[in-house]
Amino acid sequence: MADDKDVLRDVWFGRIPACFTLSPEETTEREAEPYYLLLPRVSYLTLVTDKVKKHFLRVMKAEDVEEMWFEYEGTPLKWHYPIGVLFDLHASNTALPWNVSVHFKNFPEHDLLHCPSNSVIEAHFMSCIKEADALKHKSQVINDMQKKDHKQLWMGLQNDKFDQFWAMNRKLMEYPINEGGFRYIPFRIYQTMSDRPFIQKLFRPVSPEGHALTLGDLLKELFPAAICVEDEPKRFQVMIHGIEPLLETPIQWLSEHLSHPDNFLHISIIPAPRGCGDCRSVLQTTHS
Amino acid sequence: MIMAASQRARNSELKQSETWKRHIIRQLKYRNRTQTSVFQDLIESYHSLLEKSKQRALITKGILGSGSRPSLSEDSLTSLKTTTGELAYQVVELQQRIQLKEVTLDEQHTKLYEVQNHLSVLASEHSVLQERVAEVQTRNRLLKQEYDSLLEQHQNMERTYRQEKLRSSEILDNMIGPKQQAAVRMNHRNEKRVREASLHKELQMAASKNVNINEESGKVSPPKPSSPKSDSSQRLERSHGPLFRSASATSPRIISSIRGLFERKMRGKSVCRSEEDLYIPLGVCLVARVPTKAIFTVDAHELGINAVRFSTSSNLLATGGTDRVIKLWGIEAGTLQNRGTLDGSNEGITSIEFDPTGTRILAASYDKSALFWRLEDSVPKVTLTGHSRKVTAARFKYSQRQVVTGSADRTVKIWDLQRAACIQTIEVLSFCSDVVCSEYLIISSHYDRKIRFWDSRAGTCTQEVPLQGRVTSLDLCPNHRQLLSCSRDDILQLVDLRKSNDRVAFR
Repeated sequence: MADDKDVLRDVWFGRIPACFTLSPEETTEREAEPYYLLLPRVSYLTLVTDKVKKHFLRVMKAEDVEEMWFEYEGTPLKWHYPIGVLFDLHASNTALPWNVSVHFKNFPEHDLLHCPSNSVIEAHFMSCIKEADALKHKSQVINDMQKKDHKQLWMGLQNDKFDQFWAMNRKLMEYPINEGGFRYIPFRIYQTMSDRPFIQKLFRPVSPEGHALTLGDLLKELFPAAICVEDEPKRFQVMIHGIEPLLETPIQWLSEHLSHPDNFLHISIIPAPRGCGDCRSVLQTTHS
Repeated sequence: MIMAASQRARNSELKQSETWKRHIIRQLKYRNRTQTSVFQDLIESYHSLLEKSKQRALITKGILGSGSRPSLSEDSLTSLKTTTGELAYQVVELQQRIQLKEVTLDEQHTKLYEVQNHLSVLASEHSVLQERVAEVQTRNRLLKQEYDSLLEQHQNMERTYRQEKLRSSEILDNMIGPKQQAAVRMNHRNEKRVREASLHKELQMAASKNVNINEESGKVSPPKPSSPKSDSSQRLERSHGPLFRSASATSPRIISSIRGLFERKMRGKSVCRSEEDLYIPLGVCLVARVPTKAIFTVDAHELGINAVRFSTSSNLLATGGTDRVIKLWGIEAGTLQNRGTLDGSNEGITSIEFDPTGTRILAASYDKSALFWRLEDSVPKVTLTGHSRKVTAARFKYSQRQVVTGSADRTVKIWDLQRAACIQTIEVLSFCSDVVCSEYLIISSHYDRKIRFWDSRAGTCTQEVPLQGRVTSLDLCPNHRQLLSCSRDDILQLVDLRKSNDRVAFR
C-alpha cells in the first residue's frame, strides 16, 4: 500500500520539460527568447502558463495580443486536455524538451475552445470529475460532498497541493465492499489519427463471473488492434502518464491510482516507433 | 497442507500483482528520470537566472525610470495572500472539524455513562427476579408434595368406598331375595283366586241359564208346604214355618235348616222382576209343613255360618259366616254345587240379601261395614262404612238404589248405593238386631224387646211394638202385610201391619 501511495505521488508530481517559443508569425518588438518551464502532467495548459504569457507579453505590443494559444508541429493544443495527455499523444517519442509554439493571434475557432479565465478551467475540471463519479458511483459520492469540498479539489489542483487534493479525492476512489470495484471505469482512449476525439464507452471493472478485468480486456473490447500478438512487431503503444503498463494490470487499480485529477483514466494510443521491436521487447525494456 | 497451499497461492498472487505494479512503478521512475529530473535542475537554474536578469532589468529601469518594485512585491504579495487565504481557509475548516469531534465525543461520553447506569440497574433487577424465581420454585415444590399426599388419601378413600358399595349391594340382594319369593307366593295365591273367580263366573253363567222357572222371592221364604216343581202354586198369605233366619246360629242348626230348605224348595214359574218393580209375586201356598228330613248336607264353611239366603230369581244359595266369605251354591239334582266365593269382608258376615234381580248381593259384616257385590266379581263393588259397631243387617230399600243398615251402635243408616254415602242416620236408641223395609217403612228389631216402625222419609218413629223377649230377627211377608218376628223367649210373633195390633204368637 505504501507502493500505491508512491504511485499516486509520482503520478501527481510528474513533470514535462517544455520550451515555449513564440511563433514566428507574431510581430514582436524585440526578439523573444524561448521560455522553459516544467509543466505538471496533471494540470491544464492555460492554468500553468501565466508566466509564459507574461514573458512573451513583455516583447509584444499590447494591441496585438489576443487570446494565447499553443500549437505543436502544426497541431493546435487543446487546453482542456491534461498536459500529460497532450504530450503522450503528440510528442512522447520525440526529443525533450517539448517545443511548444505560442500564438497570440489567429485563434483557431474550429479546433480550440476559448479560455477567458480560470473559472472556465475550473468549470471544465469539475464537470469532468462529476462525469467520472457518475460513471463510478452514479454521482452519489460527488453529490454527497459539499461545495467547499469541490472547491478544495479545484484548489488542490490549482495550487499543486497533493495532500489537499487527495484528502477529498480519496472519497471518490472508494467503492462498496461487496462490489469488486466501480460501477463503470471512467476512461478515454485518445488517438492521433482519428475522426473521433476519443473513445469512451461503458466498461465494468469486474466480469459477470467475478474476475477483475485487466487493461488487456479493455483494449480487446475497444481497441483490439492495440494488443500485439506474439512474434508480431508491435504496432501501437498504450500510454498512460508516459508509461506503458502491462496488459495484465487490473483496470480497477489503474482507475484508482493512475487516473488524472479529473478522475479519468486518459489512455493514449500512439503508433509504435520503429525499432520498438515486438512484444518481447516490452519485457526487455523493463529489465534494463 | 491446505493452509500452506493457500498461503503459497496468495504469495504467488501477490507476486503476480506485484509484477505489473512493480512494472508500473519502475516505469514511472524511469520516466521521471528521463523526462523530469534531467531537466529539472536545468530549468530551475534557468528560471532563477531569468529572474535575476529581470530583476537587474528592473533595477536598471528603476534607476533609470520610475521604480517598479512594487511589481515584484506585488507578485510575492499576491502569492503570499493566496497562501494566507488558503491557510486561513484550512484553519477554519480544521477548527470546525475539531469542534464537531469534541461534540460527538461528549455525546458519546454521556451515552456511555447512561448505559453504565442502566446496566447496573438492570443487573440489580435481574438479581431480584432471580430470587423471586427461586422462591416460586420452592413454593411449587411444597404444593406438589401436598398434592401428592392428598392424591394418595383420595385413592385410599375410593378403595374403601368401593368395598362398602360391594357389601351394601350384597346385603340388598340378601334382603330382596326372600321378599321376591314372598311376592311370588302372593302372586300364585292371587292367580288362584282369579282362577276361582273365573270359575265362579262360569258357574253363575251356567246357573243363570237354569234360573227361569223360579217363583221364590229374594228372601228365604218359608217353604211352601206342598207344591211339586211344575205346579204353579199360590202362596198362602201366611207363609210361615219353622224356618227362620237367626241372627246367630251354631252349625248343626244351620245345617239342619239348610236340609229343611231343600226339602221344601218350590219350583214354579218364576216371574222376572226388575229392581224397581213393585210387583209382588203371586206365590200360592198349597201345603205347609215343618221340614223333617234333610235331602242334602254339605260342609259349607270352615267356621260358623251366620246367614243363608236363596236368590229370588235363580237357584243360587248364598251362605255367609264367620270365615268372612260368602259362598254361592247351586242346586243340581238335589245336591249343592259350589258356584263361587265372594270375599272382601274383613270380619264375619252377619246377614246376606240378594237384590230383586238376583245378580247382586248385599251383606252386613262384623267389620262395621256393609258390602255390595255383583255376582260376577269376587271383590265387593261398594263398601258402605260409617257405623261404629257391627252391622247386623243390610237391606235393599225398595224404591231407589238405596240400602238400609241396622247396626249394634244403635243407629239405622240409609245409604245411597251409587255414591256409597250415608244419606240419613236414624237413632234407634237400642242395639238393632234386624231391619226390614217396605216402601215407606223401616222396621227394626231391638234388644230392648221392641220392634220399632220408622218413617223412612221423615226418620221418625211411628210405632213401637213391645215384645216379651229380645227380638233377634224379623221377616216381612212379600205383600208387606204381615211381619214375623222371632225372639229369645222362643216365641214367633206375627204382626198384622194393617191392623198393627193384631198379633198372633207361636210357641
